[in-house]
Amino acid sequence: MMSLLKNLASLRLTLAGMILLAVLAVIASRSEGVDAGITALPLVILVLNLFAALLTNRSFRAQTGLLVFHVGLLLVFACIGLTVLLRFDGHVEVLEGSAFDAARVETVEQGWWHVNRLDEIELYQGEVRINYLPGLNRQDTHSTVEYRAASGELHRMTLGDTRTARIDGYRIAATFNKGFAILLHWTGDDGSEMLGAVHMPSFPEFDWKQLTTWTTPAGQAIDLELDFDQPVSSDNAEWTFGPTSMPYAVHVSIAGDAPRSIRRGESVRLAGGVVRAVDLRVWMAYQIEYLPFLTWMFVAAFLAIAGLTAHFARRFLPAAARAGTTTKEDALVHVARA
Amino acid sequence: MSLALERQLVLVSVLLLAAATLVQLAGVALGRIAYRPTAGIYAVVIAVLTAAIAGRWVREGQGPFLTFYDILLSNLFSLTLVFLLVSASLPAIRPGALVATPLLLVIGVWLTDMSALAAPLPGAFDNTWLWVHVISGKLFLGLCLAATAAASVMLLSESGSSRRIAVLTPHPQQTEQMIWALFFVSFIFHSVMLVAGAVWAHSAWGRYWSWDPLETWTLVTWLMLGGILHARVTFRNLSQRAGLALILAAFVVAFLTFFGVPFLSIAPHKGVM
Ligand code: HEM
Repeated sequence: MMSLLKNLASLRLTLAGMILLAVLAVIASRSEGVDAGITALPLVILVLNLFAALLTNRSFRAQTGLLVFHVGLLLVFACIGLTVLLRFDGHVEVLEGSAFDAARVETVEQGWWHVNRLDEIELYQGEVRINYLPGLNRQDTHSTVEYRAASGELHRMTLGDTRTARIDGYRIAATFNKGFAILLHWTGDDGSEMLGAVHMPSFPEFDWKQLTTWTTPAGQAIDLELDFDQPVSSDNAEWTFGPTSMPYAVHVSIAGDAPRSIRRGESVRLAGGVVRAVDLRVWMAYQIEYLPFLTWMFVAAFLAIAGLTAHFARRFLPAAARAGTTTKEDALVHVARA
Repeated sequence: MSLALERQLVLVSVLLLAAATLVQLAGVALGRIAYRPTAGIYAVVIAVLTAAIAGRWVREGQGPFLTFYDILLSNLFSLTLVFLLVSASLPAIRPGALVATPLLLVIGVWLTDMSALAAPLPGAFDNTWLWVHVISGKLFLGLCLAATAAASVMLLSESGSSRRIAVLTPHPQQTEQMIWALFFVSFIFHSVMLVAGAVWAHSAWGRYWSWDPLETWTLVTWLMLGGILHARVTFRNLSQRAGLALILAAFVVAFLTFFGVPFLSIAPHKGVM
């Protein structure tokens, strides 16, 4: 048993693990189809190797700074593992004046152990303002929301570049992604009524293509294009994205037919009902993530660095001080000439 | 300060570095360490680059953090400064000026060839962690350069290729010790850069790690630095030459990571723009 542990604690294995980790990291980042999860293999080898070394190598344990560094590394690995298992990462677009809807969240990543509690989030979208410098250079973002905290109270907060909200453990951060949405009212031939918003492509990224496909409640697919009377963004002046009073038309087209244009308050007849353009709003996209061990990972990493610094002070400084007293430049030149 | 004046200041610093390179070569020809005149030129280069960076900072209203020109300019400044400070306080490292000076000159010439147009820094990027990340990165590279430059001169002097170079490292053992100590400190700063970068990336664009080429190669560099320190305890009989050559190899990888990857991918980080 002991000899097995000793073999597992081999420092050559550490080197092999580090090299494998580096190689797999490069492969994972360069090849589209390869998941970064392959780096778990060398990480597991390194963790076992380090555990074995901590158990069997007495001089290793005796060097406090070095010990703190390596234990810190172990904790970092542990936090990475827990993060990968518990994490959630997704995106959601929320319409100005309406509530966050968990059903609209697009999941980017979800760990095996993540218990999804998105539907407990209660958040309402208020005003959005994003400032741009000439050349469409995005500056500060201000997105006002109201949300219900764990205490049950409703909080108002402006999210932005460095301000994020934490709701039910999820971190909600404003992203650069936002755009306009057309509020439509549908009256079906059967008398049914519906109010809904169609989100147009991201703005100003796709200001040249404010076009999307929408399927009516009666099941007909139509193209909707948002067309402002004058440009709302400016390439060569400062500009602010947000609610706009710029007049606009909505071009409604069905494959093969000439488009019909409606303005605010106007309607158009479609198969199975009538649709009316009610208003123009903005939508804001958020990143929603749950990374409960991230902060601990950073703490462990800084602990490791502190250990490393202590080890340096003990191992190198005395020798460096000795060396420093004997290698004056003049002495150097003197010896060089000799 | 106008962009034209800034570019002229950069040009002046490049000419000064060319002069320093000549001074170093003349020193070798005379069989001595021409440290004092080189250090004097370094000090002037630092003053000139300080003026260029300050002028740019005031004009653009932001630090040199974003474009490739920003990266080269700020690193030329920090590498010169760190090398000067290290060599001034550690005489054993001074022969390294023979290798460090032409390298700084190459960065300077490269800089004169880049577009100096600035790109605005989005609001989310400007926080304390950016500073910690950038400063520790610059300290890492500067210290690693000092270690590598001295190591290279030692390798040259021991290769027996030139007696003139051989006389530059009369105390190989102390110099070697100093090189490893510097290399170790550079590893500490690299670790700080890596962690602060992750904290910053998380706050700036919601990702603490996204396997972009720069992050991946930074991890590879970190593993290489740690691996080399490890190799020294793993193979206790690792020769002096092999150890110094490993340091040189690590610097090459670090250099390519700092300047090669952003050069190829335009922005320092994929997520930045
Ligand atoms: C995961 C498995 C690892 C094991 C089993 C391990 C083991 C050890 C041992 C036993 C020593 C002390 C040797 C001595 O002074 O007697 C050591 C030193 C060291 N290790 Fe590790 N280590 C591991 C991972 C790492 C990693 C990932 C890094 C950084 C990339 C690292 C960096 C260092 C450094 C910098 C030293 C100090 C070297 C010196 O004092 O010159 N180690 N390690």
